[in-house]
Amino acid sequence: MTTLTQEFSKGIIKQNPVFVQLLGMCPILAVTITATNGFGMGIASMFVLLSSNIVVSFIRNVVPPRVRIPAYILVIATFVTITDLVLNAFLPSLHAALGIFIPLIVVNCMIMGRAEGFARKNTLGRSVIDALGMGIGFTLALTILGIVRELLGAGSIFGANIMGSSFEPMALFASPPGAFIALGILLAIFNYFYRKFGVQ
Amino acid sequence: MRDGVRMALVLLIIGAVCGGLLAGVNAWTGPIIETRAQQEFMETLRRFFPDVDRIDEESVDGEGYFVCYDSAGNLLGVVAQAKASGYGDGPIQYNLAVDNAGNIVGIRISSHTETPGIGNFIETEEWQQQIVGLSIDDPIAVGQDIDTHSGATVTLRGITGSIRRVIDVIGAEFLGFEGETMGLDIAAVSDGTYTGTGSDVTVEVTVSGGQITEIVVLEHDYTPDYFDKAEGATIARIRDAQSIEVDAVSGATVSSLGIIEAVFNALK
Repeated sequence: MTTLTQEFSKGIIKQNPVFVQLLGMCPILAVTITATNGFGMGIASMFVLLSSNIVVSFIRNVVPPRVRIPAYILVIATFVTITDLVLNAFLPSLHAALGIFIPLIVVNCMIMGRAEGFARKNTLGRSVIDALGMGIGFTLALTILGIVRELLGAGSIFGANIMGSSFEPMALFASPPGAFIALGILLAIFNYFYRKFGVQ
Repeated sequence: MRDGVRMALVLLIIGAVCGGLLAGVNAWTGPIIETRAQQEFMETLRRFFPDVDRIDEESVDGEGYFVCYDSAGNLLGVVAQAKASGYGDGPIQYNLAVDNAGNIVGIRISSHTETPGIGNFIETEEWQQQIVGLSIDDPIAVGQDIDTHSGATVTLRGITGSIRRVIDVIGAEFLGFEGETMGLDIAAVSDGTYTGTGSDVTVEVTVSGGQITEIVVLEHDYTPDYFDKAEGATIARIRDAQSIEVDAVSGATVSSLGIIEAVFNALK
């Protein structure tokens, strides 16, 4: 049996949903134009993941296995809609920036994957720890990608100008192809360190 | 069978709980979102009329007109939320603000699908400055007071025609301009048959003994549904009143105004 610490940290390092599992690539590439967007998307996804893991784990002995997928989708879609409404009401600028990618959290395979692969077989406590770890790992990855792309594509981080006025922004990194390139480079760097320190 | 009932029941319960939860969240956030959308719209209106305190929303031929008043209840002007057809697949959606004297005080393009680099000049400050300051009495026509824009004729004609139409509607519906700008003494017109063209419609008017006896539409370029609605009633109203100072047919204002304008142009 894995310890709770391992359960928590696996989502951040060993099984990071973005850098190791490569899950949920569509919103990752689309919204990480700025660090703020990446962070916001990460937190929104984490909220949905945490809520759905709690509910899925809670109802795991009640839901007949053959209808578990539609049941999970109902649960996930509900929390995504709540996130959408709350962001629209209280953080309208972030809501506008993330746009269609908030409703699309419903089909983020990380969330379905954790419900199907973890929460339905584990206790409430472990599911919460798992969701927090995975959610923080996802948020960290999106924020890092957002920082790199914003720095290269606009010369700023979290909206604060870093590179000075003489810096010529590389518009490529603000566009989708640049997202692929930045993600590829980050994956290479992470793989290098993972191998060096023997993380498997 | 037992299994089937249980599956359906579990899904039903989950669905009901989720639905209830969403209804609750929607009841909580709905008013907040609504209030914010209204505030944002008021901000837009304030850019045109800084003193706006109260708005009346009116709809003419499917387009929104926001009549702005200050805190003392004086009419400041009207902001239209209008559509023009340009070169792109979608409409050019824009706001046109006209003050209470019939002068254009602002234009804002909210969305369009014109070709970047060709038709999107309508977004530029430079072009919009040409529009601001024009009045309902100006021609507002390409080649007269609107510079031609080579390579972007369709876009320019579309937006200019639409501005002309919208300002006419504002003038007629909200500012009461119709009568003042179109004074006409039919009794003074000598007998005969006259042809006149308004915006997108040509009519033939027969005058006999100082009376309009017949009005025939020769051709028009309006949406048939609206025009058919406007044609009979507007012509009857002009003939009955023996005047062009008649009300437009509601729901077909633009076509009605076109016919009135054409009759005026025939007899003036």
